[in-house]
Amino acid sequence: MIQFDHVTKRYPGSNEALKNVSLNIEAGEFVFVTGHSGAGKSTLLKLIAAIERPTGGTVLIANQNISKLKSNAIPYMRRRFGLIFQDHKLLYDRNCFENVMLPLRINGIFGTEAAKRSRAALDKVGLLHKEKAMPITLSGGEQQRLAIARAVVGRPSILIADEPTGNLDAVYAADIMSIFQAFHQVGVTVIVATHDATGISATQRRVLHINQGELHSNEVIQAADHTQNSGYPI
Amino acid sequence: MNHWLNHHAQAFKLVLTRMRQNTLSSLLISLVIGVAMCIPALFYVGVDNLSTLTHHMQNDNEISLFLKLDVSSENIEQIEQLLSKHPNIQKHRLVTKEEAWQQLQAKSDTNPAIQELSKNPLPDAFFIQANKVEPEALDSLRLEMQAIEGVDQAVFNADWTKRLAVLLALGEKIIYFVAALLAIALLVIIGNTVRMQILTQKDEIEVSKLIGATNSFIRMPFLYAGVLYGAFGALFAIVMMASIIMIFNHSVAQLSDLYSSDFRLTIFDSKLFLSMTGIAIFIGWLGSYIAVNRAISAMKID
Repeated sequence: MIQFDHVTKRYPGSNEALKNVSLNIEAGEFVFVTGHSGAGKSTLLKLIAAIERPTGGTVLIANQNISKLKSNAIPYMRRRFGLIFQDHKLLYDRNCFENVMLPLRINGIFGTEAAKRSRAALDKVGLLHKEKAMPITLSGGEQQRLAIARAVVGRPSILIADEPTGNLDAVYAADIMSIFQAFHQVGVTVIVATHDATGISATQRRVLHINQGELHSNEVIQAADHTQNSGYPI
Repeated sequence: MNHWLNHHAQAFKLVLTRMRQNTLSSLLISLVIGVAMCIPALFYVGVDNLSTLTHHMQNDNEISLFLKLDVSSENIEQIEQLLSKHPNIQKHRLVTKEEAWQQLQAKSDTNPAIQELSKNPLPDAFFIQANKVEPEALDSLRLEMQAIEGVDQAVFNADWTKRLAVLLALGEKIIYFVAALLAIALLVIIGNTVRMQILTQKDEIEVSKLIGATNSFIRMPFLYAGVLYGAFGALFAIVMMASIIMIFNHSVAQLSDLYSSDFRLTIFDSKLFLSMTGIAIFIGWLGSYIAVNRAISAMKID
């Protein structure tokens, strides 16, 4: 599904954010990306989500080389992903329902079908009763759940979350993780970046640990659990 | 197709909603466009109308021969024979000083100055209709007539209209330049307005790009905004122009009645209105296209 082959990413005027990273993420996996702030987690996620292109090496998403993709094909590639940003990136000039509608509008889905799907997505994250509320009135955890609703409304096959629990207390964090868990259960590939590794051991997933741009460990914690959860049809 | 139409309809609806939320600023920008279009268009209407008027007059190939005051009746007869034999003269007509005096006195009730005149100041005159219209041929004919003995002056009736026509052609050129300059100003104004809107929608554009919006999806509402500004601006311009011309026509009517002409400025010049609307819409579209493309590339999400 996602293949990195000796991938290097260098931003102009700085050191390499990622050095010679090779990895392979299968469809239906649940993967954690860990590491300190500035280790290169966000860069890795941006490369996966086709937001950045690698400086060296190849990134294959669903067997398509991101570097060789024409720029007008990039938007369609991005629609395969559901993105959850650390700062939510919610739009504060419209209510929850309209926030969730945005990806559908981009996909050209309108009318009752769009409304139905938006409500279904809000329902999945437990925010259906707040559809008319403005995002600013929501708590931090609720805002993050709204961001998840927006990410999944387009029914992506890959869900990518950058520090989704970074600003949340433990109860909310567990709440968010259980939502990801639910999507993983129905076959969605989930990739979550987090700087604090606590709570991962409880969920027992594959962990990619990045340190100063290098991939240090690429291991599966409790392999048995991983195999049990992989192989869901997408 | 349906999908494509839906996209456009949604973008259009979105723009209308946004405009309704900022009615005042939308009205103001449309008004600016309207005024900027109105100025050259008004001048154009003036010049265009005068041009058709003088064009109509220019076709007069009439030469007036004013004879010397002391010319004898034999001399007049000689001239008349000369004129009737001349190959380039279609017809000629003699107006004697007595006839002219009578005509003038008939009009004298409107002009007290004429009543003051004690004796006839008018010369005998021939009015010649040439059978050529080319200016060169007419000019050589005029010179020929001037040389005839007993002729005081040979004058083109349409001489002043020619000068006016040249002036009007110059005026037309000036209008094109003014219009071009104002078009550039409009481009900048609309571009700047759209740029401000883009800034207020920056978050939405950024998120949309991140989750897979194409550039055309992002551009579309702004392009519609530019087009609508242009369209509303043209509407303003047309309404303003029509009212200004109507006010002017009142004075023009008084003036042209004095010349016993029914000349009026045309109010509804559909060709002009159509081209104004077309140009305004195009400028609106182009201004926002440039602004939104610059904004998208400045965001560097690619």
